Amino acid sequence: MVAAAERSAQPAAATPARPRSSLGFRYSLPVLLLLAVGFIAPLVAVIAFSFVEPRSFDLWSEPTLANYRTIFEQTYYRSFLWSLAFAALTVVVLAVICYPVAYGLARVFGRWSNLVTLLFVLPLFISENVRLYGWVLFLIKGGVLLGGVKALTGIELTSILFTPPMIVFGMVYVYLPFMLFPMTLGLSMVPREVTEAAFDLGASRAQVFREVELPLAMPGIIIGALLTFVLGVGAIVEAKVLGGQSVIPITHDIEIAFTYAQNWPLGAALSVLLMLVVGVLVLIVLKRFDLDRILGRR
Amino acid sequence: MVSGRFPILELRGLTKRFGELAAVDAVDLDILEGEFFTIVGPSGSGKTTVLRMLAGMESPSSGDILLKGERINDVPANRRPTCMVFQSLALFPHRTVGQNIEFALKIRGDAAASRRARAFELMDLLRLPRSYYKRGVTQISGGERQRVALARAFAYDPQILFFDEPLSAIDYKLRKTLEKELKDIHRETGKTFVYITHSLEEAMVMSDRIGVMRAGRLVQVGTPHEIYTEPRDKFVSEFMGEVNVIDVVADADGLLFAEAFGTRLTAPAHRRGFQKGHLVIRPESLRFLERPEQAENRFEGTLYNEYVLGSRIQYQVRVGEHVFAVERLRQHAFGGRLDDRVLIGWNAVDSILVEE
Amino acid sequence: MPHLDRRAFLKVTAAAAALALPGLASRRALAAREKELNILCWEGYNSAEVLDPFRSAQGATVKAESLTNDPTMINRLRAGETNVWDLINVNNPWAREVMHPEGLIKPLDRARFEPYFEKMLPAFKPPYKWAMSEDGSELLGMAQRFGPYSFVVNTDKVSREMAEDQGWDLWNDRKNDGRYGVQESDDWNVFNLCLISGFDPFVPHTDDQVAKYTETARQVFKGAKLVGDLATMNQSLVAGEIDYYLTGGTYSASPARFDGHPEIRGVTPRSGPMPGGKGGVSWIEITSTVANPQLSPLATQFLEYVQDPEVAHVVAFAEGTFNPVAQMANPKCFELFTKEELDAIQWDSLEEEMARSVEYDIVPDYEKLHDIMTAAKREATGG
Repeated sequence: MVAAAERSAQPAAATPARPRSSLGFRYSLPVLLLLAVGFIAPLVAVIAFSFVEPRSFDLWSEPTLANYRTIFEQTYYRSFLWSLAFAALTVVVLAVICYPVAYGLARVFGRWSNLVTLLFVLPLFISENVRLYGWVLFLIKGGVLLGGVKALTGIELTSILFTPPMIVFGMVYVYLPFMLFPMTLGLSMVPREVTEAAFDLGASRAQVFREVELPLAMPGIIIGALLTFVLGVGAIVEAKVLGGQSVIPITHDIEIAFTYAQNWPLGAALSVLLMLVVGVLVLIVLKRFDLDRILGRR
Repeated sequence: MVSGRFPILELRGLTKRFGELAAVDAVDLDILEGEFFTIVGPSGSGKTTVLRMLAGMESPSSGDILLKGERINDVPANRRPTCMVFQSLALFPHRTVGQNIEFALKIRGDAAASRRARAFELMDLLRLPRSYYKRGVTQISGGERQRVALARAFAYDPQILFFDEPLSAIDYKLRKTLEKELKDIHRETGKTFVYITHSLEEAMVMSDRIGVMRAGRLVQVGTPHEIYTEPRDKFVSEFMGEVNVIDVVADADGLLFAEAFGTRLTAPAHRRGFQKGHLVIRPESLRFLERPEQAENRFEGTLYNEYVLGSRIQYQVRVGEHVFAVERLRQHAFGGRLDDRVLIGWNAVDSILVEE
Repeated sequence: MPHLDRRAFLKVTAAAAALALPGLASRRALAAREKELNILCWEGYNSAEVLDPFRSAQGATVKAESLTNDPTMINRLRAGETNVWDLINVNNPWAREVMHPEGLIKPLDRARFEPYFEKMLPAFKPPYKWAMSEDGSELLGMAQRFGPYSFVVNTDKVSREMAEDQGWDLWNDRKNDGRYGVQESDDWNVFNLCLISGFDPFVPHTDDQVAKYTETARQVFKGAKLVGDLATMNQSLVAGEIDYYLTGGTYSASPARFDGHPEIRGVTPRSGPMPGGKGGVSWIEITSTVANPQLSPLATQFLEYVQDPEVAHVVAFAEGTFNPVAQMANPKCFELFTKEELDAIQWDSLEEEMARSVEYDIVPDYEKLHDIMTAAKREATGG
């Protein structure tokens, strides 16, 4: 009885019309409420705020498109492009860097895999800010790197801090685990015998990679790419700390709108647009790469 | 025995070590062109490692592999004219039946039309409906997948096919059908097949010759008949299926003495100078006797239990601490009841003497 | 450092949504608040050194949240958080010009609190302008930390003399591009961009001035080596990545000075475009009681508590930044400062720097100027 009720709880969430009276629906009510309050309500609040008169805090005023007009009239598109470009670049760089490591974790390292995994996980226990400031101290003029080079060779190199490439570096550094682990999972899901079969059938290493390994590991790679892309679009500290604000990503514009500018409606409109852009991009990718079809499940 | 053919594959002192352990230990073997050769052995006997070395997926620690007289130790799998059919089949799950079969041809750079023609040819040979060409390999049945794996392996016309227990995960009835089919395909194609399995029964059905492996060593090589009738040792004889084994030592007058039973037994023809070994009697060679003189050797015991094994019935007879298995065809079922005193026996020619 | 990511942003909006539910808010207000105190402040007042003695003496639960800009704090009250907070600590003009007229704060008992002003530095003699309502009748808050806030230089690279003489023109000389940073302190940067443009920030501006300002904003951000927080600015100054940075003073330079870098120094221009030819800007914090319908009785007790000489010294040197306090007029308080501490807060030049500075005020067209600056910053980016 209880088991049956629990099983019916899931469809109840999707189609609340019919099983309103069922035990399952009542059981799932607290979770549904929590979801509604904790997840949907803030989202609705943000969307509602984006249609409020600029710089006002009154949700119940006449709706207006003024905030969106402001965004399209001004140069906010630059921030959007920067954010998307940085996120895309981060994904590409991470895919290239992580593939060999993921391959090693899935296939080569064997019992050393756990240790390597731990090495990649450990930094996650330290705040992102602290780690990035650590890099500043390492890379700053007279810091560990440049200071060390100067002391050893007498050559004074120009600092590379506070430049756009450093932002990508920071993002690659911070989001590496989010690409590495789904990718490792994806690669470990490729049966060893299937790659051996391809090799046995005459395929070169490159052909095995292209024809078999890559397509079969694709679900993991796509998940890693989506994860890092979404995180990358939401990145802000890297541009602030390592980039010295040499670039203003869209998240920074949103932060300014909510703080110094005290223009919550504008910030909300920027947020809504960002969610829209990212949502559409993610949907396109998911449509293009049907994970089930890749795996031959359909 | 397939005679008059030259060896296509020669294994010379082939050894593979994983750390301290020699998984394959100095194996010497000739595999003849066009034969169906099966390596049989329990798991861990090293048979898979031998096959993987032959296919080029593992490199030998020492020893040589010669293909038509040329050393191929260092030739990688993708450049050997051999192909493996895996236990898991290892089909490409993201590709269609057609794409799977044509994989090697596409890699080789064949044109689409000729690839397709070859795929259809193989599908016909393996009795796969042509309409399956565009289906995903995950949408067809286990037996059909088996045939796709075969077709894929045959596609580029390799000289030797390796089979890594491809039938072990399949239910009994389908396995029996596929065993016969495989043997038919072997006849039709005339290719050299090297097959590994842990089931001697499977090996018997299909093979021209069988090699039995144990703990990394090749214990005996011969035709199924030779292996069956002249097992080289107790291991091989036991590996053939359920057998009755009596430990014996040489006695006077060419007789044997079975210490455990305190009796002398008439021995089959054996080597002069035989000291100590095992007398092997197959369950179907043991008979129930009405009178002692009906067989050269005999024991008296108690009918302990009986089992129906399809077309045969197996009886267990207790003689002291030992249990003997006696088998009869079902239509000749033994009339005795459980706990009856019975006499069992056999003639010396129906037994096999293996040396220790 | 305010670090607003999406999660924090959602939290803020969720809080706003929750506060919009009247039932929830009023139930919260009805709770007994005798032993509870909530402070919205600049960093320092939220430190354990300041709060813990008060907590244990009162047996109270004291919560303090620190932010680093005034408009955010005031908008929190506007958004309905007046029934959450008891004390608000912001810069000088807000109590008198914004919060009191809008009814966001409650006046203090003059008889009880005015005597404290008597014991402060001479500039704070009662009635002290920024602590009083516009009509001069009400006492709106207490003063404590203050300081000049113009810019900071590394005196090994640019002498104090030269920096004081050149003043804001340091940012008008394009030869200096790449040598300076801009601290992320947007409201102050608006003042400074006005001053660099050559006009008074605290009066309404003409279209010509706004055009000049727009050009200046673009140039200044284009030439900036980096924009960042206070810690990054000081670090880069010490390391030699930059030679000086915009918007800074004792508040921002003191941590580096206290850390053994006396070459880092807040500088106030000798002259500028403001009344009396002044070129610097200074700030004074005013702490007021919030117009909370259930104001905690601990609020006024806390205001008295921080007037104590020892507590005032702790406030001056609480974690983060170090600042002079008005209570240093009291010898009992002053003698608690070591020589190193006085050096850190540039006590030697404090009086003259304050004299050369105009006190922080509200920019009438701040929103427009801020938008222009944000756009300029965005457009200057990407190398």
